[in-house]
Amino acid sequence: MMALALLRRYGTLIGFVLILAVFWISLPETFMTARNWLNTTQQLSMLMVVAAGMTIVMAMGDFDLSVGSAASLAGIVAGALFIAGYPPAMAVGAALAIGLAGGAINGVLVSVIGILPFIATLATLTIYSGLAFVISGGKTISGKSIPESFGNFAREGLPLGEVGGVALMLPNLTIVAVAVVFLVWVLLEQTTFGRRLYAIGGNIEAAYLSGVPVRRLKLAAFALTGLSAAGAGLMYASRVASANPTQGSGLMLNAIAAVFLGMTMSEQGEPRILATVIGVLILGVLDNGLTQLAVDSYIRQILVGAIIVLAVSAGALGKRGRR
Amino acid sequence: MTLLSLSHVAKAYAGVPALSDVNLTLAAGEIHALMGENGAGKSTLIRILAGVIQPDRATIEMDGRPVTFESPGAAHRLGLRFIHQELNTVPALSVAENIFVGRRYPTRAGVFVDWRQLHATARAALDRLGITHVDTRRKMGSLSIGDQMLVRISSAFLSEAGAPARLYVMDEPTAALTREESERLFRVLREIRAGGGAVLYVSHRIDEVMALCDRATVLRDGTTIDTGRVAEITHDDLVALMIGRKVGEAYPPPATRPSGEVALVAQGIGNGALADVTLRVGKGEIVGIAGLSGSGQRELLRTLFGDLPLRRGTLELDGRPYHPKSPADAWRAGFAYVPRERRSEGLVLSRPIFENVTLAHLASQSLGGTFLRPRAERAFAARLGGDVRLRATGPGQLALQLSGGNQQKVVFARALSGNPRVLLLDEPTRGVDVGAKFDIYSIIRDMTANGMAVILVSSDLPELIGMCDRIAIMREGRMTGTVSARGLNEETLLNLCYGRGAEAAA
Repeated sequence: MMALALLRRYGTLIGFVLILAVFWISLPETFMTARNWLNTTQQLSMLMVVAAGMTIVMAMGDFDLSVGSAASLAGIVAGALFIAGYPPAMAVGAALAIGLAGGAINGVLVSVIGILPFIATLATLTIYSGLAFVISGGKTISGKSIPESFGNFAREGLPLGEVGGVALMLPNLTIVAVAVVFLVWVLLEQTTFGRRLYAIGGNIEAAYLSGVPVRRLKLAAFALTGLSAAGAGLMYASRVASANPTQGSGLMLNAIAAVFLGMTMSEQGEPRILATVIGVLILGVLDNGLTQLAVDSYIRQILVGAIIVLAVSAGALGKRGRR
Repeated sequence: MTLLSLSHVAKAYAGVPALSDVNLTLAAGEIHALMGENGAGKSTLIRILAGVIQPDRATIEMDGRPVTFESPGAAHRLGLRFIHQELNTVPALSVAENIFVGRRYPTRAGVFVDWRQLHATARAALDRLGITHVDTRRKMGSLSIGDQMLVRISSAFLSEAGAPARLYVMDEPTAALTREESERLFRVLREIRAGGGAVLYVSHRIDEVMALCDRATVLRDGTTIDTGRVAEITHDDLVALMIGRKVGEAYPPPATRPSGEVALVAQGIGNGALADVTLRVGKGEIVGIAGLSGSGQRELLRTLFGDLPLRRGTLELDGRPYHPKSPADAWRAGFAYVPRERRSEGLVLSRPIFENVTLAHLASQSLGGTFLRPRAERAFAARLGGDVRLRATGPGQLALQLSGGNQQKVVFARALSGNPRVLLLDEPTRGVDVGAKFDIYSIIRDMTANGMAVILVSSDLPELIGMCDRIAIMREGRMTGTVSARGLNEETLLNLCYGRGAEAAA
């Protein structure tokens, strides 16, 4: 019984360590190197930011399917403003504002009008995606219209010195992701806002009758999730120095998967930001390691899906055992 | 001829006995009343008959042969039909489809639904109850509550091949019906009796029972107290049997008398559930709200607490206008609320005690109203937990790990967390063991000594008499009178709830 409880609580973490060990052994030269890790964190940074935002709404027991298309839309909006000749700062600000507004619309649909999050955000997913296509005319915005400073941001970073004759740097995108995780951690774990979100997630009726302003908080939480999606969209656009109306589409499923993986590690099965970070790392490390092992990308998809099912069912079975 | 006999039925929930020794014998061709106060065990007994729950111990015989109701299907096959208190309708389906819910639709060629036959059968079922004004093609949701209830009832009377109905179990079927509708129902019940069928009839309306039923069985505290012929018992005897126990030392005495200053005034308030309710509660006073279940007590509290809108009338708190738009407003204004269902409405079960305690006034426990101070919160919750005599391993224990009585104390600790001026209580001791009950009564007394006003909604009459200064009686969303609790006996109060003698007291 004790072993089962431990497995439920730490099973995912143990799995993560096993995955690391397998890759370390099979890729002794390249896997456990500072260079590879810094590279991985940069690849993960967009997913990290979206997953952090997703943790906010999932703390209330809701979720947001529109984050991927909101990310694409933000990139496109910034790109369109670049073409129109606006300064980069203004374009980035406008793109973030679009994300915030898109999230707030989700919040209004869910909390004021009372549509189920699944349906509301499924609808806005297609709306935001459609908007991105309309604004871009379906074409990728790239080349000269993207300001150099915007494209360079993702390529630059904090120099960390040389190791073995190779210059290392902490990528800017990684720094952004860490900053976002820190902010979400403060918000969810250290403020009344976060406490109330978890109360809503635990028992919405009891929270409401205890004076928690449920509507307002739901609206704010969805707005923040939209903002994080926009941030990720901009990071993506900077990294590839172009904006494409579909470039964020892979983020949504992976972000939800990362939060679910994290939930298998928390005490009461609730989403916690630091657990989400581990969830993101698992997905990222799997991707990185399997790519290095030259595993076919379709097989990779199957493996990643299977691992998510395994982790979440272990959690569910452990919970049943407690009853 | 005995149709069904139940002996020594016992059932406990999580160690708390709901039924301890129930004996009941039903004869073919009789209408048998099942009576008792709320919590006496009537609902549990019905759920056992319906096969929804299993007794811990019971001997059940039908026609002299042992039977078990291991599932709702088994009860149905044995010929039992149920009309529950709750509506349980499907609003989006037609009246005819609602009548056939849970039954096999008539078909053509074994595959296609025979809609004409379906509607004809439904029509006949409705006509039998004299419900000629309802079209079987109308949506169930468009009907009045009374008509919906009648449709549900008619469905139970639908005859079926294979499993003929032998016993109808009706749980307060007339609660939503007019007098004429009730009379039509009674006519059908008498027809069933004449045809050799049996009816187990649960009702709080004693006059109805006296007029309709042949025999009555009275339950109290999960035990059969008596069974007898209705013709040989008086109305008052029946009430006395139901109440039974004395108001004793179960309630701590008041420490001080109310000062006479007014705390809360409701003047002619109304909305969809309340009509012209006027109520005055003094500082340090406990005002009880009595009435049959569903008379608007819960809605009154929800209106005072800002959950239900205040459409008409005015509220004043300490002489100033009070118009809450949400529970958050009510907490800020100095109200506190202990809801009826502590698990679904009161607690975030998956969170620790201290988070539950500080939830209503979290900002005041936080740095600048924003940043959490968990250590201060724990200390605060531990102090309040001491005040309410909470028994827990510490403020970090999860709410779901506590017993019912201690969970309720956590809800009380939250209610006291902002030094409220008005405390609204809805069945505060339901499902709470005797020891915790006394603790909760003591907490309420302590708070009134500090000038807090209390409104106590309860279906437990001894509790109302033992704790309150005054008791207001509600019926169908209205206040029908207010009596002093001093020297009041349960019988008088019960009669007031049933609408007898209310005029004299008002």
